[in-house]
Amino acid sequence: MMRSVRLFFAKPATIVAFAVFVAIVVIALAAPLLFARGPFTIVGMPLLPPGAPGLLAGSDVLGRDMAVGLAYGARISLLVGIASSIGAVGIGILFGAVAGYYGGLVDELLMRVTEFFQIIPSFVLLMVLVAFLQPSLGATVIGIALVSWPQVARVVRGEFLSLKAREFVQAARTLGMRDSRIILTQILPNALPPILVVGSMMVGSAILTESALSFLGLGDPNLLSWGSMIGGSRSAMWVAWWTTVLPGLAIMATVLSLNFISDRLNDALNPRRQR
Amino acid sequence: MLVSIQGLTAALPPGADRPLAIEDLSLDIAHNEIVCIVGESGSGKSMTAHAVMGLLPRGVGVTGGRILFDGVDLLQEPPEAMRKRRGREIAMIFQDPMAALNPVVVIGRQVTEQIRAHRAISEREALQQAVDLLGQVGLKDPAALLGAYPHQLSGGQRQRVMIAMALSLSPRLLIADEPTTALDVTTQAQILKLIKKIQAQRQMSVLFITHDFGVVADMADRVAVMRLGQVVENGTVAQILDRPAHPYTLALIAAVPKGASAPLDPAEGTPLLEVRGLSKTFRRGGLFSSRGAVTAVDDVSLTLNRGETLGIVGESGSGKSTLARCVIRLLEPDSGAVLLDGTDVAKMKSGRLRPLRRRIQMVFQDPYSSLNPRQRIGDIITAGPRAYGEDTAAALARATEILRLVGLNPEILDRFPHEFSGGQRQRIGLARALMLQPDVLIADEPVSALDVTVQAQVLKLLDEVRRTMNLAMLFITHDMRVAAEVCHRVMVMRNGKVVESGPTHALFSAPASGYTKSLLAAIPGRGRL
Repeated sequence: MMRSVRLFFAKPATIVAFAVFVAIVVIALAAPLLFARGPFTIVGMPLLPPGAPGLLAGSDVLGRDMAVGLAYGARISLLVGIASSIGAVGIGILFGAVAGYYGGLVDELLMRVTEFFQIIPSFVLLMVLVAFLQPSLGATVIGIALVSWPQVARVVRGEFLSLKAREFVQAARTLGMRDSRIILTQILPNALPPILVVGSMMVGSAILTESALSFLGLGDPNLLSWGSMIGGSRSAMWVAWWTTVLPGLAIMATVLSLNFISDRLNDALNPRRQR
Repeated sequence: MLVSIQGLTAALPPGADRPLAIEDLSLDIAHNEIVCIVGESGSGKSMTAHAVMGLLPRGVGVTGGRILFDGVDLLQEPPEAMRKRRGREIAMIFQDPMAALNPVVVIGRQVTEQIRAHRAISEREALQQAVDLLGQVGLKDPAALLGAYPHQLSGGQRQRVMIAMALSLSPRLLIADEPTTALDVTTQAQILKLIKKIQAQRQMSVLFITHDFGVVADMADRVAVMRLGQVVENGTVAQILDRPAHPYTLALIAAVPKGASAPLDPAEGTPLLEVRGLSKTFRRGGLFSSRGAVTAVDDVSLTLNRGETLGIVGESGSGKSTLARCVIRLLEPDSGAVLLDGTDVAKMKSGRLRPLRRRIQMVFQDPYSSLNPRQRIGDIITAGPRAYGEDTAAALARATEILRLVGLNPEILDRFPHEFSGGQRQRIGLARALMLQPDVLIADEPVSALDVTVQAQVLKLLDEVRRTMNLAMLFITHDMRVAAEVCHRVMVMRNGKVVESGPTHALFSAPASGYTKSLLAAIPGRGRL
């Protein structure tokens, strides 16, 4: 454990990425305390540049404080990213574990279902799903989870296939342990490192997907997210760069830091990468 | 002297289990001589061979000494000069020929590439040489082999190809690093004979690395015994085998299973376990295709009494492990019956089978993969009782007892598997099986991954445990010597079928089938140890 932590922080880039991510999380958590009036309140003239009195990041097309919007947007982005990833990992583990452990006909069936989800353009499927469920935060989370679990299922299945052949799993079977216990206590803990890596990578891509949905106006209309900020300001892109560039930078910083973190997790949790 | 290693010392990277890989090692190899380095795992024997090749792993650095090859110090040679010597003057063969051959390149190309890397000759000439070489190492139809991929050959054939490649440039020194350890015993005997024949024909010197004193007895002119990076004893094969001076050499030779002490307990009464006409066929391919079937176990019957050990002996692919896995229901047998105290468990549904599972337990082959690396020893060995609803405290109390029985300190309960050696892990695996107080214990090659001294201890322990707990034991092994030491009766298997079976002593002294005779004849160092 300590070894993994030390390996994780062995590169300066990881420390920076981790610091950026923690800062974003803190801002997101503290947004209601810092800006109690909420992101939709109009505070002044529209399209004031960053640095205008009282407006750290300027104002948007409707004269709302961009800084407040960015802080509240972080809440939505992170919430959607993390919640949908947890959902996707959950479904993925269920499918992958059952398919990998039982093999045979069960495996064939579950993998055909998985492939069904993989061969449909996922963003189109997602738009249909969200439109069908009515745009809302819940619909976004469910939709993203439903289109991204196959990736996890594949990884989990592969791990289970190789781990179930190991002698300690066979030993557990000869001891008379139930299948569910073998899956949960013997195999899953050994399969966790790659699942964690895929999961953390998925948070980043879920944030991107959510932004794209909101940009197209399929996000929750009652909540402000980075994607909807860009979507709402795109008409002013040429006259007020900050209205689109700042939320764009926020998305980039979050996803990039998450990718750095998951890359590094991969190295730190992989016992074969020991040096 | 062709090779003279003088005071060679090499350091391991910091954090290794000892500071020096090789410590002040001196060893001579004369022209036309086979020198064996024998030692247990971690003794530094392979490191020594790699040092001569100039191929020490990264992090291991030579800190002193000289390796004189025909008077030239190899340690002072520039890398390019050393590269030219490798293959041309010093060649090497390895333990695992599958790993040493490139799996996606045909044999012919791998052999000619080796030749053409050192000699400016045409592809056609190189191919002709390759055919000659493959013929010399006893491969039939070498011309056809040129187009074959490594996976299409058997283990023995692959090792012959490796030897042919090593010989291609007529090296003066051949280094063989455990070249037969991964092979079946009859194949091993053939390869050893081949190496000896070629050595005599070509008047080469051979440095032969092995852990097996039987192989030493068959091969060596001179022997060096290594332990923890040092040569503890060095002499002619007769000296070392007949008059070993160092206590470690004595212990190593004593630990070699001699197959002489077969237990002769009376074994009577109704059989506890009876297998009748068991068959198992593996079908390859997926849902919509079947690409041939392999009958791994073919109509096998056996009986096993309480307090008795039945050895199942066979080479790889004989079906011995599949048979064991069908008996313990890790695999589903296709047909036949497995009667435990008269109850047929072969086709029993898993729900009804569960309460009976505890009566048949298993010790596995690989001490490294048989324990869950993420669980503590206490969790591992109480997993069985807990699966049957015993409460953790009671199970832990019993675990202390069982750990003492298998010769381990009960204080290890909260430690993790990686903190233990192979032999200790096998003891933990045995403790896990014994926690359920089984009637039948299946031991699947329980000592084949262990060093010979540890092997002797684990065999002794298994026999003790069988006695104290009055177990019926099914002992799977490829090693006739080990079988002879612990089994009351032995059953020889080949290609899924029983070749013959009978009381150990009778079967070894007067084997009925030609196959058993060839297995016995192939035991290395027979009659010498």
